[in-house]
Amino acid sequence: MRHPTEGTLRRLVDEPAGVADTDREHVAGCPVCLSGLAAARDDAALAGAALTAEVAPDVDAGWRRLSQAVDGSRTVTAAAPRRRWRTALRSPVIAAVGVVALLTGAGAAAAADWLPIFRTERIAPVTLTQADLVALPDLSAYGDVKITSKPNVRRAGGASAAAEITGLGVPRVGKLPRGVVGEPAYQVGDRVTAEFTFSAAKAAKTAEAAGRSLPAPPPGLDGSQFRLSAGPGLAAVWLEARGVPAMIVARATAPTAYSSGVPFETARDYLLSLPGLPEDVAAQLRSFTGDGRTLPLPVNAGYLTSSAAEVNGKPATVLTSRDGLLAGVVWADAGVVTAVAGSLSADEVLSVARELR
Amino acid sequence: MALSGTPRPGQAVRADLEEVFRAAYARVVGVAARVLGSRDEAEDVAQEVFLTFGRSSVPATEAPGWLSVAAAHTALNHLRSGRRRASREESAGGPDTVCPDVADAVVTLDERRRVRAALARLPRKQAVALVLRHSGLSYAEVAAALDLSPGSVGTTVRRAESALREELNRHASSD
Repeated sequence: MRHPTEGTLRRLVDEPAGVADTDREHVAGCPVCLSGLAAARDDAALAGAALTAEVAPDVDAGWRRLSQAVDGSRTVTAAAPRRRWRTALRSPVIAAVGVVALLTGAGAAAAADWLPIFRTERIAPVTLTQADLVALPDLSAYGDVKITSKPNVRRAGGASAAAEITGLGVPRVGKLPRGVVGEPAYQVGDRVTAEFTFSAAKAAKTAEAAGRSLPAPPPGLDGSQFRLSAGPGLAAVWLEARGVPAMIVARATAPTAYSSGVPFETARDYLLSLPGLPEDVAAQLRSFTGDGRTLPLPVNAGYLTSSAAEVNGKPATVLTSRDGLLAGVVWADAGVVTAVAGSLSADEVLSVARELR
Repeated sequence: MALSGTPRPGQAVRADLEEVFRAAYARVVGVAARVLGSRDEAEDVAQEVFLTFGRSSVPATEAPGWLSVAAAHTALNHLRSGRRRASREESAGGPDTVCPDVADAVVTLDERRRVRAALARLPRKQAVALVLRHSGLSYAEVAAALDLSPGSVGTTVRRAESALREELNRHASSD
């Protein structure tokens, strides 16, 4: 007999009583159909897991709301768009902003024997996929990392407190986008500093573990120290009713990295040649200018697309989530990095960015 | 409730609204939540659906099916109509969670986003059939609600699940 349809196999998964006996008997003795049935079962289980929704709505509260909507002049549909203006802070755009915040450094730390290899004047996106990020070896695989001061992120009482703590001007938003309301909450973070000492021996071990041999380090790199500064920074966060942010405006002193002697190009090119960095990312990194004034902003290509724009004459990077739910813009100006992000469109974040005072 | 006391011209609300609401509200919210991944948003959708139902003349016997299909369509419309359908996960943290665990929660959140994006890309009939079946409607109920034969419900759901799996895998492997 002919094989039952895929639809019949699907129904066997969760409503076998609805399938004809002849079909069931056929499937039980047919390897092709059994395989199809297993695939249908797997897909059904995956879909079931993906569509899980454990909700126990409050029926009385729902009824009161509906009654008011029916009674009153305000309709439910009119109220709905505002309520949908919510996003989680822990979203990709914000993660990107978080990266910026983490990298954010103070220019004040330069000791005389440290050459700046990284002084942000421009931000350019580097596209890393999530798999790359996971696969990218921790720097500790290539040397010693020592965090010399921690960010201590905390709340600030208000704009003036945030300004006082960080020494940064608090960006003031001209006109809030539709759906973003009220006063923002302020967060501040101190400067973070870290030192990384390259170790050829450690790097060789890491390469060996990956089944690769370590390219010969350039002279002087072994034992070289790199110092990274991050912070201080501040963020103004507009919250939705349930405590989820609708928009964030963040500002921080631009990141700086210093080398105790190895020039930027040398360090960059060598680090790029280390096993573990995907070739396309390496190629993008290589295109960075040798003056070390461009901050590479890792972008997860799975979530985000990036594009170039301008904010008040400064080159800016616009990040948009692929589903269009979130957008952010990041730019650097006179040693300060500023970012605007939220559950907004690219036009909206740019408009907020351009009107900051 | 004061529904009956406030008749509005041209906007008469059906008398059985409360009864139907109480019987079907949880299910309608459940259907929408499967699409949207968020209870609050699902409740918004349910309100819209019942408001429309309250002004309709859908026969009471057909109400459960009608409401489920309407919830699925309305929720899918919400997915497609705007770009600010950002996640409102039940576990959304307060401002103090801003920096420390940015990376952690992105995964779960992103999975929900992917499911929603995948649903938005499915042909509408497939998406509705998929959501209704996974909301507990029988093949016969899905068939009646979508004007399909029970046999083709299986085919439609199967295709939707296969497409969903491909979408989710495609994104997972391209990361």
